[in-house]
Amino acid sequence: MAKSTFFNSLPTRDRKAAKGLVAPAVIGIWVVILFPLLYALYVSVHDWILSQGEIGRLNFSNYITVLQDPLLLNAAKNTVILTASVVILEISIGFGLALLLNNKCIRLRNLYLFILLIPMLMPPITVGLIWRLLLHPDLGIINYALSLVGLPQPIWLADPTLAMITIIIVDVWHETSFIILVLLAGLTSLPDELYEAAMIDGANAWQKFRFVTIPLLAPTILVATIIRMIAALKTYDLVYILTRGGPGIATETISYYIYKVFFVFLDMGKSSAMAFILLGIIVLMTLVLMRVMRRVEQ
Amino acid sequence: MLVKFKRNFGITISHFLLILSSLAILLPILWVIRTSLANRLIAYKIPPVWFFTPTFDNYLTIFDKYPFQQYFVNSLVISGIASIVALIIGSLAAYSIARFRTGDPWLRLSMLSTQMLPPIALVIPIFLIMRFVQMWDTLPGLVLAYLSFNLPYTVWILISFFQSIPVEIEEAAMIDGCSRIQSLVRVIFPVALPGLLSAGVFNFILNWNEFLFALILTGRNTRTLPVAIASLWTQQGVNIGAVSAATVVTILPVVILTYVIQKSLVRNLTFGSVK
Repeated sequence: MAKSTFFNSLPTRDRKAAKGLVAPAVIGIWVVILFPLLYALYVSVHDWILSQGEIGRLNFSNYITVLQDPLLLNAAKNTVILTASVVILEISIGFGLALLLNNKCIRLRNLYLFILLIPMLMPPITVGLIWRLLLHPDLGIINYALSLVGLPQPIWLADPTLAMITIIIVDVWHETSFIILVLLAGLTSLPDELYEAAMIDGANAWQKFRFVTIPLLAPTILVATIIRMIAALKTYDLVYILTRGGPGIATETISYYIYKVFFVFLDMGKSSAMAFILLGIIVLMTLVLMRVMRRVEQ
Repeated sequence: MLVKFKRNFGITISHFLLILSSLAILLPILWVIRTSLANRLIAYKIPPVWFFTPTFDNYLTIFDKYPFQQYFVNSLVISGIASIVALIIGSLAAYSIARFRTGDPWLRLSMLSTQMLPPIALVIPIFLIMRFVQMWDTLPGLVLAYLSFNLPYTVWILISFFQSIPVEIEEAAMIDGCSRIQSLVRVIFPVALPGLLSAGVFNFILNWNEFLFALILTGRNTRTLPVAIASLWTQQGVNIGAVSAATVVTILPVVILTYVIQKSLVRNLTFGSVK
């Protein structure tokens, strides 16, 4: 490991103190992250059904078996649909609302902002519960409202397509706040001089947006996209509380399917192998997006 | 004339869109609060009864029939202890990395890279280990598990806080005769306090909301609020009033704490990558 030259130039006493101060955190990271991960890697190449006793024999084919599992493929497909939909919807809606809130002529903008930020830190489980109450086919207020205007009253979470759409809508309700907050912070930090210069050059509102706002905000939008995408790829809580992956397997995400293989089928080896595949996908996508970001910043 | 009309029109449209989205956020929450205050009969009525005398029966039910005070205390203790431990250990490491560039850049980047880790990948081995060392369904077990995301987060966020404090303050204190530890405790920490506080509160909220680890690592003894309310739905069909009351009880502390740290929310939520 290459040590920084700065660190080596420090007096020995300081270097000792510096190492002493990071030691508890490094030990902590080893105990709660690295050691469990290494252990999971070990488990992932073994046969181990928990209900049948302790860890079985070495079996490298776990990874091949799970990659051929049609249920994992189905979960991957659902995860991609979910992630792509929520990221696109949340970025577009969030960007739109951030632009509206960035207009200083809007009265009550602090009140709007406060309301729009409420969902952000609500526990996902409570968000799911609230929507289950609202969408309940017989007792929910939404179907009652639909009946008043003469629209059909679907059984939201029982239809395969509709269940996925519902999860997407609830996720957008929950997470768009985050995008609004981040993009609004980005917008307010843009320098006024550039807009003034654009105005002097005779740019209209659209041109200012297209040639000043968009290029300057692009890095922030990308960061928001990366953060949301990583989180969406791990979606678990909302699926658990809204549909349990159902109806059938229509809304099983990768995280939920791994949970099922782990906690319901009690297959430690295969669930660990899948978890590493999910980790690999996330790392890969993050690296790709970060490369894109570097290009945008140049 | 036309320009003015156009501008007014734009502002009206903006208000219209903002009101629409605000209602989309507020109405579901208000509806749950309303349902939590309705008695059993009214809660189930469709078409809904709009005016009724509010009652706290549902709140009494969840604290009386189910041990929600126990779940509340579990959540409070686990979230609180994990975030405090992370703050103590993490702030020391962050200070060291910020001031001495300890383990540069690997240590710093490894903290950030933990963000990519899916919780399910970590919870499987942690469950197996806890089962082996008999820490499953214990408070320390869940606290340790929560450190896996509290600790890297705290270190990462606080590095930039410590970097923003000028070295000169510390050097001045040392010239005045403070030892390095004294200057750390008496000079640096008071200055860094707002940062420490917001990192601690944010960790607390993360822990309070956490579901997957709690679902798998807790049993009868240590169940936290999210796990408890999730099971409330299935146990009895739906007791709409009780579910609503439990939801309100779970959300309330988070809303209050969010208000406390609202200024540093962006930094906290984006892992410091957007300033």
